[in-house]
Amino acid sequence: MTTKQWVKITPQRMELNGEPLATTAQGTALLTEIYRTRINDYPKFFKMDELCKLGFIASELLLQADGDRHQDSEDRAVILFNRSSSVTNDRKYQDTIQRPDDYFPSPALFVYTLPNIVTGEIAIRNGYYGETSFYVLDAYDEATIRATVEASFLDGTTQSAIFGWLDCEDADHFEASVYLIEK
Amino acid sequence: MEELVLELKKQIIEVLNLEDVQPEDIENDAPLFGSGLGLDSIDALELIVMMEKNYGIKIKDPSAGKEIFKSINSMAEFVQANRKK
Amino acid sequence: MIRRIADNIYSPLGLTTADNYASVRQGRSRLRRYEGAMGLPNPFTASLFDWDQMERLDGYTRFETIAIQSARQALAQTTIDPASPRVLFVLSTTKGNVELLDAQAESFPEDRVHLGTAARMVSAYFGNPNQPLVVSNACISGLSAQIIAMRLIESGACDTAVVIGADVQSHFIISGFQSLMALSPMECRPFDIERVGLNLGEAAATIIYDKVDQIGTDEWQAVSGAVRNDAHHISNPSRTGEGSYRAIRAAMGDMPGERLAFVNVHGTSTLYNDEMEAVAVNRAGLKDVPVNSLKGYYGHTMGAAGVLETILSMQAVDDGCILGTRGFEELGVSKAVRVSAQNAQTDKRAFLKLLSGFGGCNAAMLFEKGGER
Repeated sequence: MTTKQWVKITPQRMELNGEPLATTAQGTALLTEIYRTRINDYPKFFKMDELCKLGFIASELLLQADGDRHQDSEDRAVILFNRSSSVTNDRKYQDTIQRPDDYFPSPALFVYTLPNIVTGEIAIRNGYYGETSFYVLDAYDEATIRATVEASFLDGTTQSAIFGWLDCEDADHFEASVYLIEK
Repeated sequence: MEELVLELKKQIIEVLNLEDVQPEDIENDAPLFGSGLGLDSIDALELIVMMEKNYGIKIKDPSAGKEIFKSINSMAEFVQANRKK
Repeated sequence: MIRRIADNIYSPLGLTTADNYASVRQGRSRLRRYEGAMGLPNPFTASLFDWDQMERLDGYTRFETIAIQSARQALAQTTIDPASPRVLFVLSTTKGNVELLDAQAESFPEDRVHLGTAARMVSAYFGNPNQPLVVSNACISGLSAQIIAMRLIESGACDTAVVIGADVQSHFIISGFQSLMALSPMECRPFDIERVGLNLGEAAATIIYDKVDQIGTDEWQAVSGAVRNDAHHISNPSRTGEGSYRAIRAAMGDMPGERLAFVNVHGTSTLYNDEMEAVAVNRAGLKDVPVNSLKGYYGHTMGAAGVLETILSMQAVDDGCILGTRGFEELGVSKAVRVSAQNAQTDKRAFLKLLSGFGGCNAAMLFEKGGER
């Protein structure tokens, strides 16, 4: 397995293949800054919840660095892991149904109350018809992640994957450590 | 009516997270779905919630939304005729 | 070869696989209309446990309780030591303990909202030392979980996989589907011309797999599986059934359609899902294979669906039966598919299971009894 590109994002900084990217903002504003300065061609970005924004940006940086999006393919998997599932957005949705006298369940929030939606957003953006999976762990565990991703490559089709840890505990605490690997 | 039209445009931009759109960008008669603003079925459902929240109008049938949300003008007419708030 | 060792279904229709199959074979369901339940202002039809009558495990949430109860029964049919480090627990769930987010919820430590923590409560109950793997891949989780379990056994990462699918219904989930206008007010009608939406359900189901060199005549083999994405929309299925078709093709491989007793589809009874699956099944050249949906018996049990419906399909083939699609009367999709409301007879020994879910994901798994004949 070859690691082709690697991105790391925290509320304070962003790194691509170990090199820090020049940014000024912090927190979720950092995500918006990266979108505006390096992507800026996908208005749907602003409909996404924080977890999806984080994953979308991570994947865009990886693919930009790699040069070729490998669009419309069935042999690239998107396999992501976290501890918090979609809890940040779950709380936002819960807020729309908590009070009987102000009861307006939001469909736009509800569709993002599943962690795997981010894998779908990446698939839609790039035309990836391959496997998309999301796993939740009690704690970050490299061995489990490695074993699961390696096992996924046994399907006879997958040749490359965008995989890694993508967690958004709340708006001030998020982390992405995402890789593009090839068989 | 003009006040309502402007109000609706601002609400749509906010509720649907249309970050790069200004009220002046939305033509009163232009189709909101398909081309135009490129809204989809989830947006239509959010507009249904918005109707109830801001104007007290309950839309029970999602397919009724197609005609109501065709354009800003059709929305404004519908609100004018049915608003409870 | 990946072999099924044991299973259990723990649902409103019964707490054992046998009870569930018997009920389904007789066309029964626990789908009921609820008004004012769970603080929901709008009525809904669902298949729910009678929680007042249920045995609750002290210190465990509703979700954890049914997952544990189901796994306990499945494990009791084996000689597996669940505390062994070579046994892996794989949990399939969409929302786990999400009801704990409600301000009025039962009092549990806040971190139980986290799926991994809830899963550890389940695996730790059995003394298992490994971190359990939670599959949260929307409605396809139950097949996703079985597929990754297969691959982890094949790769040698574990020897035995206890795959548990479970979800409980709550204000959170039901209100959300109501906001999407995806629910039917009455009992659902998969593939029917009058279908308007799905019913929700809750259940737990467990299936245990290991690896053998040869499959016995009466043993079930998980032959292959695939997950594919539509790359189209995060909640609407692809009109061309793109992901479902590709998953079917990958899972079927060289297997001819005629060997299948049936294709058990997702069949949620929404306008778009059933239409999409009819398109996908046709594209894959399987239009002459009987198709059935089990959502009319249980509603959509979310994380449990893939496991529960697989087990019932195995039971049906064991019984020489193709279960009827409860709620179906007249075909209402644009492509011909062989759906029937009545049970039918079969002597075939393989079936294909399909699921589709939010996020554009689709899964297909091929199961065969007794190896190739």
